[in-house]
Amino acid sequence: MTLSLFNQFLSPSLMWIPLAAIALALPWALFPHQTTRWVNNRLLSLQSWFLGQFTQQIFLPINSPGHKWALLLASLMLFLITLNTAGLLPYTFTPTTQLSMNMGFAIPLWLATVVLGLCTQPTQALGHLLPEGTPTPLIPVLIIIETISLFIRPIALGVRLTANLTAGHLLIQLISSATSVLLSVLPAVATFTITLLFLLTLLEVAVAMIQAYVFVLLLSLYLQENV
Amino acid sequence: LNHRFPLFASGSLKSSGPIGAGLVQASRSLQTSSQSLAPVPPLPEYGGKVRHGLIPEEFFQLLYPKTGVTGPYMLGTGLLVYLLSKEIYIINHETIAAITIGTIIVYGVKKFGPSVAAFADKLNEDKMAKAQEAKDVAMSSLTQAIENEKKEQWRVEGRAMLFDAKRNNVAMLLETNYRERLHMVTNEVKRRLDYQIALQHLNRRMQQEHMINWVEKNVIGSITPQQRVIHKCFSDHLSND
Repeated sequence: MTLSLFNQFLSPSLMWIPLAAIALALPWALFPHQTTRWVNNRLLSLQSWFLGQFTQQIFLPINSPGHKWALLLASLMLFLITLNTAGLLPYTFTPTTQLSMNMGFAIPLWLATVVLGLCTQPTQALGHLLPEGTPTPLIPVLIIIETISLFIRPIALGVRLTANLTAGHLLIQLISSATSVLLSVLPAVATFTITLLFLLTLLEVAVAMIQAYVFVLLLSLYLQENV
Repeated sequence: LNHRFPLFASGSLKSSGPIGAGLVQASRSLQTSSQSLAPVPPLPEYGGKVRHGLIPEEFFQLLYPKTGVTGPYMLGTGLLVYLLSKEIYIINHETIAAITIGTIIVYGVKKFGPSVAAFADKLNEDKMAKAQEAKDVAMSSLTQAIENEKKEQWRVEGRAMLFDAKRNNVAMLLETNYRERLHMVTNEVKRRLDYQIALQHLNRRMQQEHMINWVEKNVIGSITPQQRVIHKCFSDHLSND
């Protein structure tokens, strides 16, 4: 079928049946459950090791009331990294390119950290609005700035993920279109663009994993401030 | 009256329509029947064999009787050419992207696959090594305990000799003590008897002396003056000679 640059970002549907749910359920299908066996196969051992390492790494600086978020953040990380890396395959739909979904993750989780902080330790949570050691005349301005930065956080979280992934996918599409056109006209330039495409794809693989990690890391930082 | 019957029938969930059957199962929980207690079959040690990383070996075996070794490859090539020529699959920019990401994935798997697999195996090996070590330590401590026990049993055999020696010691002490006391008793008895003997000797001597004195006294007293004159004449006579 003829593809435009918009096709990869359209929510998939088959004869008007939306398939977005299947796209979102893919990560769940790819990772096996924990078994009752003592020694598992390689995939399960690696998966358990990775999740254990990741959770320990993220939750090291957070004190124990925040450890209730371990399941949420670990599963979020696994979800995002799977969606991102699976989206690099051809003809796939990446749900994390949709701003709606990323804001759907960012706003409730950020708001949960803020409300948690304000409910359990309101003084300390509000105290984060003023960094230590600011000169006295700057205090009113700084409080306004810090409040703005507080409210920018969810937008930044969502838009960061969306923009990175969308831009990466778009670049891949554009450069591969250029290559496919140039292959028939100027094959030498086409080799250059294919090399560029290789490097870009490598970058995109890295970006996919890093962006997922950054999302979860920032959420854990907001949690650390407020719990 | 008809509207009262559903109220009576609602007691049994099973008969209350399509949701009823699910509601009955909702109270049953998973993994509680005795079937879940049966031993789980062992995991296969290696995954199924695949050719070119994607296609299971069983597919090639399936086609082998009819089309030989090249059968599946001919099928694949023919299928690909059919899709391309009939424009069921169109080459577009996604194809180039697919080639790129495909190359990267294949390269990554070929290069890092064995090391990742070795790492996963090492994770399991370490787990098993720990358990094995615990088992080995337990076994060595048990063999050590067995050896200690045997040594103790050997020691017990020698205990009789120890007791005999001790018994001899005690007997000797008792004997020595008895002999000491016997000796003491003998001495005491001898002392008392010696005293009696000395007493008797003294008695006899005193009697003798007394008698001698009495006899002497009597004899001297019985010497009459007549006998004294005779004695004097004799002594004068003798001295004159």
